[in-house]
Order: sequence, then C-alpha cells, then structure tokens
Amino acid sequence: MGSGRRKGGCRRRMGMGTISSAFSLISGALDADQSALSIVANNVANVNTPGYTEEVPNWQENLPVTINGVSYGAGVTETGATSMRDRVLEDRLDQQQQLASASSARLTALNSVQALFTPDSGSSTAAAGDIGSDITSFFSSFSSLESDPTNVSLREEVLSSAKVMAGDVSNAAASLNSQSSALAQQASGVTSQVNSLTTSIAQLNQQIETTSPNADAGTLEDQRQQDLSQLSQLVGINQVTTENNGLSVTTTSGQVLVDEGTSFQMTSGSVAGATHFFVGSTDVTQQLASGGGQLGGTLTALTQDIPNALTSLDQVAYGISTSVNALNNAGTNLDGETGSVAVPIDIFSQPTVVAGSAAAMSVVMTDPNQIAAAALGLGTGDNSNASAMANLAKQSIVNGQTPTNFYSSFVSTLGATVSGVQAENTAENASVTQLQSRNNALSGVNLNDEAAVMSKMESSYQAASQVFTMLNTIIAAALNLGDQTTVA
Amino acid sequence: MLECAVRREYPDLRELLIEASRALAQLDASRLEELALSCEALNRVFEDSEVEGRVKLSGQARKASKEMEVFARILDATRDNLGVINRLRDLREGRRGYGERQAQGWVPSENGHGDN
Repeated sequence: MGSGRRKGGCRRRMGMGTISSAFSLISGALDADQSALSIVANNVANVNTPGYTEEVPNWQENLPVTINGVSYGAGVTETGATSMRDRVLEDRLDQQQQLASASSARLTALNSVQALFTPDSGSSTAAAGDIGSDITSFFSSFSSLESDPTNVSLREEVLSSAKVMAGDVSNAAASLNSQSSALAQQASGVTSQVNSLTTSIAQLNQQIETTSPNADAGTLEDQRQQDLSQLSQLVGINQVTTENNGLSVTTTSGQVLVDEGTSFQMTSGSVAGATHFFVGSTDVTQQLASGGGQLGGTLTALTQDIPNALTSLDQVAYGISTSVNALNNAGTNLDGETGSVAVPIDIFSQPTVVAGSAAAMSVVMTDPNQIAAAALGLGTGDNSNASAMANLAKQSIVNGQTPTNFYSSFVSTLGATVSGVQAENTAENASVTQLQSRNNALSGVNLNDEAAVMSKMESSYQAASQVFTMLNTIIAAALNLGDQTTVA
Repeated sequence: MLECAVRREYPDLRELLIEASRALAQLDASRLEELALSCEALNRVFEDSEVEGRVKLSGQARKASKEMEVFARILDATRDNLGVINRLRDLREGRRGYGERQAQGWVPSENGHGDN
C-alpha cells in the first residue's frame, strides 16, 4: 500500500521561480491527497474483510526551500500507509481467546460427563444417572431378605437389583470410555489444523521479512494475525517478535512451533493406549493440557476429568463387589454350602484391582439360592449374614466412605467442577468481547473513536464496581441473616 | 398479590447479576449505571424492610452465589483488560511526547569531537 507519491520539494525546480514553486507545491499536495484517498478507499473496500486492519497514510514534510533569503515550505509527501494495529492488545486478545477456547472445550466435555450422572426421574429404564438409587435399592433388598431369608422371590429381588446396579455402573464406564475415544480423535484432528496454520505463519514470516523488514506489512500482517488468532483458539501459544518484523511462536510451555520462516509439525500417536502429542520427538501432551486453546481444554477433559470420573466409578464397583462377595463367602447359602478360596460363591465378578472394576462389573450368580443369608453354622434359615450385607450400606467400604456418601460426593464434586468451568468460561468470553470491541475501535474500519471506547470501558468498570460492592453488602447481610434465622 | 409486592420490593438477585454480567461484557456503561441505582434502592429497601422480607432475600442470596462468582470474575477480567489498555495508552502518550520533542529539533548528545 501507499507507493508514496511525492511532490517536488526539488531545489532545482523550485529555483525556477515562485509561481512554478507554488504550482509544484499545489500539484504535489494534490498527488499526496490522491494517494491518501486511495488508502481511505481501500479501508472502505475492506470494511467487511475479516481481520483487515485500518490503514492510515504516513506524511513526511519535505525540506523547505530558500528563495532570495526567504524560506518556503515545500509541502508533504505521502510515504505509505501504516496499519492501526496494536500488537500488545492483539497478544492480550489472543491470550484471552486461548483461555476461553480451553474452557469451552472442557465445558462441552464435562457437560457430556455430567449428563451421564444426572438422575432421570421420569424414565423407567436403567441409566447411569440412577446409580445412586441403584445402590440404595441393592442394599435395601438385603434388608427385605433379612425379614424372610428363605423366601426365593426376595432372593431373586436381590439378584435383580444387583444386576441393575452392575449394569448401570458398567454402562456408565463404557460411555465414559467412548467419550474418551471421541475426544482423543477430536484432539488428533486439531493437530492438522495447527500444522496448517503454523506452516502459513512461517510462509507469511518469510514474505514479511523480505518485503517489509522495517515497517508494518499491511495485509500480510493482517493475514498473519488472523492465523495467530485461529491458532490461539486451537492451542496455547506465546509469540516473540524477531528481527526484520518476523515472529516466533512457541507453545505456552516453550516448545517451538514457528521459528521465523520455519514451522515445526505437531503429531499425535498412541502411547500405552492413550493418545499423546509430539513436537519433533518431544512428548508435549501434559504441557498442552495446561496450555489453553481447544486442544488444552480437550486434553484436560481427556487426561483429568474423565479419568477422575472413571476412577470414582471403579472405586464404587471395587468396594461394593469385594465387600459383598467377601460376606457371601463367609455365610451359608440356602443349599447349606459355604464358599471358599478354591470354590468361591460370588454374587459379583470378583475384581483383582481397582482400575477397570466399573467396566467389568457384572453379576455372576445365577441361582438365587446361592445367596448366603445365614451365618456360618446357624442353619439355612438364619438371617445374620443378610443383616451383615444390608449393613454394608452404612459401612465405609468405598475409599473410606459409605457407598452412597462416596457416590453423592463424586456427583456433587463433578457438579461443582462443571459450575466452576462454566463461570470461568462466561468470564473469559466476556473479557474477549471487551477486548474485541477495544481492538475493533483501534484497528477496525469504523468510526468509533478510540478514546470514547476507553472512556466507556472505564465508566463500565466504575459502575460495575458499584453494583458489585452494593450487591456484595446486601448478599452478605442477607446470608448472615439467613444463618441467624436458621440458628434461631 | 403478596408475592407481587415482595417481587417489586426485591428484584430477583440472580436476574440482576446476570443482567449486570451481560452489561459489563458488552461495556454497556449506561445500563450498569441504571443497575447501580437499582442496587442503591435495593439496599435502602433491605435496610428498612421487616424480618420476613429480609429472610426472603436471604434465600435469593443463596441461589445467586454462582451468578455473583461469574460477575466477580468478569469484573476481575475487566480490571485486567483496563490495566493493559491503560498501560498501552500511557505508552502511546509517551510516544507522542517523544515525537513533539523530535519536532523541536534534536539536541546532540555528543560534542563536536564525538568522543563523549
């Protein structure tokens, strides 16, 4: 842009006489105005071009000339255009976009996880959301059996409720595993987008360094900024400006993705059954998970949220299966038999380790008479062992807590995590909106005055602070009052 | 009727906070100023109201805790954004000052020998 029209401040021509000089000055000014007008026209023509940054003409004063001892100004020359960009602001916007994209991706994954564990009171079909009530029903069935330990239908009820619970737990684990696979596939897909953008940024770097090493490169820089903005939404990055208007891009942990004209490809591969990400031969999976962008959010869900949910389910399955099986093998069934290590009489498939217990949870007992309701040596009509199994509901058999307390705690922790990420995401998106409006005022092609936006931001902050302070006072007072009322 | 009266006295805190968060995200200063006035009025009503009304508000306050957290986070982000933008403005103003001095002519930092 702006090839630079120049009006003759030329001493030789000016020496030809005052009229000639004045004419030259005027025609030069017209040339410069024409050139500036073409910059404005270009701005208007690009009003709807995404990422286009407004350009303003640069003016340079020509050297004055002296004629007969009097100094005359020689007008101005339009020397080109400068884009109204602010790299610091763009960098801040990119950073906020990284955070917002990460929390959006994580929130989407978390919402899917939470949906699995949301009770569906209107449905009669078994679902993961019913696991809490399944646990209660299962232990209640032993309480019923306790009242009539030889009753076959009550024994069938125990097996039936055990099957519903085991089915819901294993289905939930299977759903979590398939969500995990889908997220891993999605994350792998992001790498090709990242590579395409880093390649483009490296190419643009080369062009910018060649054509405009010491000045703003206009549309080339707009394109580079567009690519950086998109890259920020995919992965957490840092940018470092280099010599000759070049740029290096690293992951937030410092792994180089673009070094001026060279890009480094990101790849994904399976390590011990899990999807890992590499730059060169370096495994950057953990760093990417905490780095931001869509990939960061997806990897946080993949490496943290879903494994946490699976571990909790595994603990529920392991605790209940091992405790119930142990008691069943310690009592006497309706046929007068007692289980042993060599020939166990288990209700559930016996897990050996916690990991994988939920996915493998199933009921292996088919004959209800095998339920050992009686204590050893007290006859088949005894109910002591059924009582003991019913009492497991009140014992700390799942990671130091009762089964229902542990499960409730897991579900409420999951809910709190979703709520926290939701709050983060709302705030980060708000921050992006604010910065975009500020950036548009500076670099967008519109008539907004930068100072007006600045003032609007300051007044909004002041007014919002007042709202916050007053509401904080009211809410604190109201909550204290609530506590006092409750105590009273 | 009673419910309407109570509602008129106490606008729902959650709705108020959601509206404030939206207005702050959009930098809608005039809406925020209106909301600040509403909060002032709410504060007066709260101080003058009977125990029953206050207890109702305490229930609303508990339900609004998440929205309050979101609003606080947006306020925090706005403060950070404002900080960045203020620093940028200072920087630019500094550049303008530098330009003005330059327009008045350079003061040589070296003497004629160039060996300072």
